[in-house]
Amino acid sequence: MGSLLQVLFDALSLGSLYALGALGIALIFGVMRLVNFAHGDVIAACVFALLWPSVDAVAIIFAGNLPWYLLVPFVLAIGAALSVACEALVFRRFRRANPATMMIASFALGFVIRYFLLMLFSSRPKSISLLPALSQPVEILGARIPLLQLITIAVTMAVLFGLTAFLRRTRFGLEMRAAAENFTMARMLGVRANRVIMGAFALSGALAAAIALILGSQTGTANIMMGASVMLMAFIATVIGGMGSLAGAVLAGFLLGAVATVMQVILPPDARAFRDAFVYGAVILVLIFRPQGLLSARGTRERV
Amino acid sequence: MKRLMTALAATTCLTAPALADDERIVVGFATAETGFMQAYDKPAQDAAMIRIAEINAAGGLLGKQIEVVNADTKTDRAEGAKAGLTVIDAGADMVVVSCDYDFGSPAALAAESAGLPSFFLCAESIKAGIQGVGPNSFSASVLAAVQGATMAEWAYNKKGARTFYRLLDTWTEYNKGICDGFDWMLPQLADAKLVGEDTFLNEDASIAAQITRIKALPEEPDAIMLCTMMPGAVSAIKQIRAAGINSMILNGSGVDGSYWLSAVPDLSNFFVPVQGSIYGDDPNPDVTAFNAKYKEVTGGDPSTQYVYPGYVMIDVWAKAVERAGTTETAAVVAELEKMNAEPTLFGPRTFTSEIHHQNRARYLIVETNAGKPGVVDEWTISEAIPVAELMK
Amino acid sequence: MMSPSVARRTIATPVLLGLLLIAFALVAVAVGSKPFNQTVIDIFLKVIFVVGLWVFVGNSGVISFGHIAFACLGGYVAAWTTIKPMMKGMSMPGLPDWLMQTEIPYWGSAMVAAGWAALWALIFGSVLMRLSGIAASIATFAMLAMVNSIYSNWESVTAATSSVVGIPIVRSIWPYLVAALISVFAAWAYGISRHGLALRAARDEPTAAAASGIDIPRARLIAFVISGAIMGMGGALYSHSIGIVTPDTFYLGLTFITLSMLVVGGMGSLSGAVLGVLILSTLIQTLRRLEAGVQVGEITLALPGGVQEIALGAVMILILMFRPAGIMGNKDLSLPQRAALETRGPTGPRT
Repeated sequence: MGSLLQVLFDALSLGSLYALGALGIALIFGVMRLVNFAHGDVIAACVFALLWPSVDAVAIIFAGNLPWYLLVPFVLAIGAALSVACEALVFRRFRRANPATMMIASFALGFVIRYFLLMLFSSRPKSISLLPALSQPVEILGARIPLLQLITIAVTMAVLFGLTAFLRRTRFGLEMRAAAENFTMARMLGVRANRVIMGAFALSGALAAAIALILGSQTGTANIMMGASVMLMAFIATVIGGMGSLAGAVLAGFLLGAVATVMQVILPPDARAFRDAFVYGAVILVLIFRPQGLLSARGTRERV
Repeated sequence: MKRLMTALAATTCLTAPALADDERIVVGFATAETGFMQAYDKPAQDAAMIRIAEINAAGGLLGKQIEVVNADTKTDRAEGAKAGLTVIDAGADMVVVSCDYDFGSPAALAAESAGLPSFFLCAESIKAGIQGVGPNSFSASVLAAVQGATMAEWAYNKKGARTFYRLLDTWTEYNKGICDGFDWMLPQLADAKLVGEDTFLNEDASIAAQITRIKALPEEPDAIMLCTMMPGAVSAIKQIRAAGINSMILNGSGVDGSYWLSAVPDLSNFFVPVQGSIYGDDPNPDVTAFNAKYKEVTGGDPSTQYVYPGYVMIDVWAKAVERAGTTETAAVVAELEKMNAEPTLFGPRTFTSEIHHQNRARYLIVETNAGKPGVVDEWTISEAIPVAELMK
Repeated sequence: MMSPSVARRTIATPVLLGLLLIAFALVAVAVGSKPFNQTVIDIFLKVIFVVGLWVFVGNSGVISFGHIAFACLGGYVAAWTTIKPMMKGMSMPGLPDWLMQTEIPYWGSAMVAAGWAALWALIFGSVLMRLSGIAASIATFAMLAMVNSIYSNWESVTAATSSVVGIPIVRSIWPYLVAALISVFAAWAYGISRHGLALRAARDEPTAAAASGIDIPRARLIAFVISGAIMGMGGALYSHSIGIVTPDTFYLGLTFITLSMLVVGGMGSLSGAVLGVLILSTLIQTLRRLEAGVQVGEITLALPGGVQEIALGAVMILILMFRPAGIMGNKDLSLPQRAALETRGPTGPRT
C-alpha cells in the first residue's frame, strides 16, 4: 500500500510540474498561436534571478536569502516581468507572422536568454539552498512523501482553480477567452489586444517562475539547462491535450507524468533506460488516434 | 583581463602560421574557452599555465621558453576538430585537449593524424588515450574505475562495510566507469555482498522510485555506491538523506568540492576520493602551497580537485621532453612510457605502452561530516585494474 | 514526369546555387588553412541537412522537428560500415557478423546511409504522414526523441552514449562539395516534379487539392522519404568529417540550428534554404573571428566571450522581424532576364 501511494504521489507531482509548464505554453498559444520556445529559458532565468551574477563556483545568494513570503512573490514578479518584456520587445512584431517564423523567433529569443545567463554565470551549475524546509518527508499511510511534492500538487491545483475562475468569472478572463477564439472579432468588439496579450504573457511568466521555484527547491541547483526538459514535455503535453485548450494541456501534463513514473516502476531493469523511448512511442500513438488532441478547444477545429 | 590575454594569444596563433620547428617549444591548448565545458576546462588549464610559468621562470625547457597557443572548441565537437587543427597549424609540439573524452577527442584525433602527442586535461575514461585516440595520446588524470574500486576497497577495509548498494546515473561514460571499477573490486572482497542495484538519469527531478526500492530492503545497506556527477548528484543526495537513509554514501571524484554543500545542509557519512585536497588539509604541504599560488594567479581557491591534473600534465610532459632531449613525438612518448610511479605533486604516475592512463593511483579520502569536508585517510588499490577489464 | 520546358526554365536556380557552393570551395582552397577548410566542410554539411529539410518542410508546409533522426541513423551507418572490424568488435560487440566484417569506402557508406534512412523514413512516414499541422510537428519530434533514446541506450549496437571512434576521417573538401551539389540538384528535381507540385498544392489549399484527387499523405510520404535519404547521406558524411559519432550530436542543437537556417533563409524556396545556410554560417564565422580578436593597428579589438551566440540570436530575430518570410521570401535565385517571367509564378505559403 505504501509503495503504491508513493508511486501515485510521484506521478502526481511530476505530472503537476508538466501541467504547470503546459499551462504556460497553452496560455500563449491560445491568444497568439505562438509556441513559445523561450519558456524553458525564462524558467532558468527566474532561478538565476536569485543569485548575484558571478562566474565563481559558489553561488552568491542575493535575493535567495529573503524569507519565503517575500521570495515567492519576488520570483513570480520577475517571471511575469521577463515574459512581458519578451512580448513587448520581440513577439509584438511577429503578431501577423506565420507559425514557423514565430517559432524560430521564440527559439532565437530563448537562445539569447540562455547565452546571456551563460555569460553572467558560467556553465557550472550553482548550488542553492532554496526553501530547504520543504525537503522534509511527511508520512502518509506508510509512504514517505517529501513536503515539496505535496506542495507542488497543491499549488498546481490552486493555480488551476484560480485560473479557471479568473477566465470564467472576470471580465479580463472573458476578454482573453474571446481573443483566443477569434482575435479580430474580439478587437472589433472592443477588447484591447495589447492588454490581453500582455496579460497572457504575464500569467505565463508567473507560471514559469513557479516551476523555477519548485525545480530549484527540488534539485538544489541553479543550472542553465534546467527548464529544458520540463519545457519539452510541456510542449508535447500542450499538443496532446489539444492546442488552445487549457484543461487539455493540464490533463495531458498529468498523463505524461503518470506514464513516465509508471514506466520507471514497472519496466525490468534492462529496459528501464529505454523508458523515454516508450513514453515518446505512447505520444505518437495518441497523436495518430486523436490528432486534434484529447480535449480540443472551441474555435481551433479546422473549418472548411 | 584573462579574456584579453586569451584574445592576444589567439591572435598570435592566427598571425603566426608555422609548422613545428626546433627553435620554439609550443604547447597548444585546444580547449573550451566558452560554452558548457569551460567551467571544467578553465581551472585545469589555469593550473597547467602555473606549471608552465614555473618552468619558464626556472630557465625554460631544453633552454627555451615554453610558448602557448590557444584555440576555442566552444564545447562543440566540430569546432573541437577545428581548434585542434588551428593549434597544430600554429606550430604546437603538444596538443592539450578538453577535460572530457567526448569533447576532447576531435582535437586529439587531429593531433594524432598530424603525428603529435595529445593530452586530455582531465578525462577519466579509458578511451582518453591509446584505446580511443591512438598511440600518442595520454590523459593527465586517473581512470574513473579506479575511483569506484578505491572507495569499495577502502570502505570494506577501513569501515567494515559488507553490504553494498549500487546506484548508477546512466548519463555519461564517466559515471559508468566509476561503477565498472566498483563491479570489478566487489567480487574480490570476501563476504562483501551487493544487495541491490538501480539506475537513474542525471536530469530526473525525482528518484523516488529508486529510493523506495532501497528502503524496501530488509536492512539498510552499509554503503551506497553512487556513480554520478554534477548537477544531478546534488538532487540525488538530497533525496537519499531526506528519505532517512543513513548509509555511507561512496562517490567518484566528480562530486568533490564544497560549493554545492549548502544545498544539502549537515551532510554526513559522505566520502569522496581526491587526488589532492582543496580544503587546506592535504598531508603534503606543497599542495597547500599550490592552492595558495592558484588563488594568487586566478583570484579564487580551487573549486574542485580537477584543477590538479592540469599541473601534473605539464609536469610529466616537461620531464619526458627533458629526458628525451627533444620534443620529437616518438622520443617523448617513449620517455613517458618509461615512467613508473613517477612522483608528482599529486601522487605517483605510471604510463606503459599498453595504457596511457592511471589504472591505479593514490587517493586521499575526504569525509564530509556535518557539512564540513576534510581528509581522513589515503588509499591505493591493492592491484592495478587490468586493461582488459577496463575495455569491457 | 517533369515537362522539359519547366526544367529548362528553372535550371538556372540549382546551377547558380551550385556555382555559389563551388565558389566557397575555391575560397577554401585559396586560403589553404586546415581549420578554414574544416569550416567550409561544415558549411557544406549544413547545406545538405537544410536542403534535405526543405524538400519536406518547404514543400509540405509541415514543420518537422524530427529530420535530424535520419541524420543520426546515417551517422551510425558510417560507423557500422567503415570502422576496421577489430575496433568495431571492441566498441559495438552486438553487431551481426556480416556487418562486423564489412568495411567499405566512405562514399559507399554515404549511399548505404541514404538507403537506410530512406527505409526508416518510409516506415515512420507511413504512420505519421496523415497528421497535419502542429500534431505532425510534435509527432516528428517524438520520433526524434525516440531514436535518440534508443541510440543512447543500445550499448551493444551503438555503444550507447560513448563516442564511437575509428571512422575514417575525410578532410578533403571535394567529396562534401559533390554531396552538397547532389542534394541541391535532387531537391530541385523533386521540386519541379509532379509530386513536388502536388505537395505544394496540398500545402497551399488542402481542400482543393484533395478535391482534385491528390492523395495528400502519399505526396507527403514521397517528400519525407527523399528528404530522409538526403539527411542520411549528410549524417554519414558528418561522421566522416570528424571521425566520431555520438547520439547527442544529432539531437536538439542541430535540429534547431538547421530549422533556423531554413526559416531565416526562406522556407518557401530552395534558394532560401541554401542561402540561409551560407549567410548564417558566414555570420557565425565572422562573429567568432571578432570574438577571437581582430588586430587594428596596435590594438586588438575583441568581443567579450559569449557574445557571439547572443549576437547570432539577435540578428536572427531582426531578420525575421523585417522579412518574416525569410531572406529570400519565396523567390528562387535565377538569371535576371527570367525574373520578369517569374512574377507570375506560383505563390509561396500565405504569411
